[in-house]
Amino acid sequence: MTAVEDVNLNVKSGELFGILGPNGAGKTTLIKILCTLILPSEGTAHVNGYDILKDSGKVRESIGFVTSDERSFYWRLTGRHNLRFFAALHNYYSDDAKERIDELLSLVGMEDRADDRFLSYSAGMKQRMAIARGLLNDPAVLFMDEPTRALDPGAAQNVRKFVKEHITRDEGKTVFLSTHHLPEAEELCDRIAIINEGRIVAVGTLEELKSALDKPDPGLGDVFTHYTGKEFERGAAPKHVYQGRRRMMGGGRPGRIRY
Amino acid sequence: MLFSILTFYFVSRLIGGAGTEYLEPYGGDYFSFVLIGIAFSGYLMTALRSFSESIRGEQMMGTLEAMLVTPTDTSAIVMLSSLWSFIFMSFRVLMYLVIGILLGVDMSNANVFAALIILVLTIICFGSIGIISASFIMVLKRGDPINMFFMSTSELFGGVLFPISVLPEWLRTISYLLPITYSLSGMRHALLQGYSLFALAPEIIALLIFSVVLVPLGLLSFRYAIKRAKLDGSLVQY
Repeated sequence: MTAVEDVNLNVKSGELFGILGPNGAGKTTLIKILCTLILPSEGTAHVNGYDILKDSGKVRESIGFVTSDERSFYWRLTGRHNLRFFAALHNYYSDDAKERIDELLSLVGMEDRADDRFLSYSAGMKQRMAIARGLLNDPAVLFMDEPTRALDPGAAQNVRKFVKEHITRDEGKTVFLSTHHLPEAEELCDRIAIINEGRIVAVGTLEELKSALDKPDPGLGDVFTHYTGKEFERGAAPKHVYQGRRRMMGGGRPGRIRY
Repeated sequence: MLFSILTFYFVSRLIGGAGTEYLEPYGGDYFSFVLIGIAFSGYLMTALRSFSESIRGEQMMGTLEAMLVTPTDTSAIVMLSSLWSFIFMSFRVLMYLVIGILLGVDMSNANVFAALIILVLTIICFGSIGIISASFIMVLKRGDPINMFFMSTSELFGGVLFPISVLPEWLRTISYLLPITYSLSGMRHALLQGYSLFALAPEIIALLIFSVVLVPLGLLSFRYAIKRAKLDGSLVQY
């Protein structure tokens, strides 16, 4: 089964780039390919200038990965101990790690709870720890796989604000974020790629994507339906087949990655 | 551990001098023979289990992916995850030897340096077998044939509980194909009889040959297994 096919994207430095699609569209597979966790069967990609196949070690030095999977931490350890462990895997010496961890705990507002066991954290706190872990190595590119999936609306809003204000605006990181949440993509992303059944069907700013529609004041849901022929909010069931030419923005040759 | 040692201690008292002709090359005492056998064969069991279990453990906890996205090499993560198992096994072996000495095993002539050489070669050989086993686990997820083969053959043919000279000649051929045979033989000669490195040359050379074959085989198979699992997208599946 092909999970991702003909993906061809350029993401600019310092950009908050969103990949939007329903469950099973291939968002996570694409992020894992870019994070070197999955090898593409065809094609390649460059992350921070490094080839994911030839320089996978350099790619991993350049990136942070924030997953919404709470199980990716050691629950019986404290938040601080978890960060120390992962800092060691990022080749931090003890003193440097301590300094960096304190800085990150302060940044994500977890300094008061850092010495509590991970299992005692709320979903929002766990996600903040995941963001802190993703930033441990001060990455040039931060991959975030549905970072608000398990959060309540308030906590999700806090994470979105943090990503927008701290990670991209203050820290200047390039963020590659996947979401199936339309308002999140609208609120956060400088540019959006719409992925459907493993294929990128459109890329651009929200305004650029909307401009292709005849409908007055369309939402991102309308844009999604226009490019995929599916109602996004109704489980991505087929509505009509889009007959138009696939629209790709960002340049590059098509069909670069296939998995 | 204590119950296991005591069991063999009393079995050895029961059989007394029986089988001396087979035990003569190792000092003639069954308890000393079996003590070294059960103590050091633990390294093989540790190697066969620890690498694959460390991968499986991280997969089940959900932490493997977060580890593999760091710059630390996957091989280093798996090796270092198993390090504690080997340290703990070394502690157990030490306890076996101490209890054995308290029960009368004579190691006053032990050539400790030679024993350490044999130990290092043993860990290299067994560790490589364990890495090959982990490679199968990474690809097949279950039913690793390497583990099954070494687990089932080593105790019977490797000279753990009795000298391989007891076996019929044609069965002894299997013993000669197992690194544990040379490892235990060398360890017994070094610890019980104080053999010099020169006298231990047959065992050392055999273990070196196994190392030369198994180390690259282990590294290549592991590299292939990771590549295959990454292509399948099954790296974190179990």
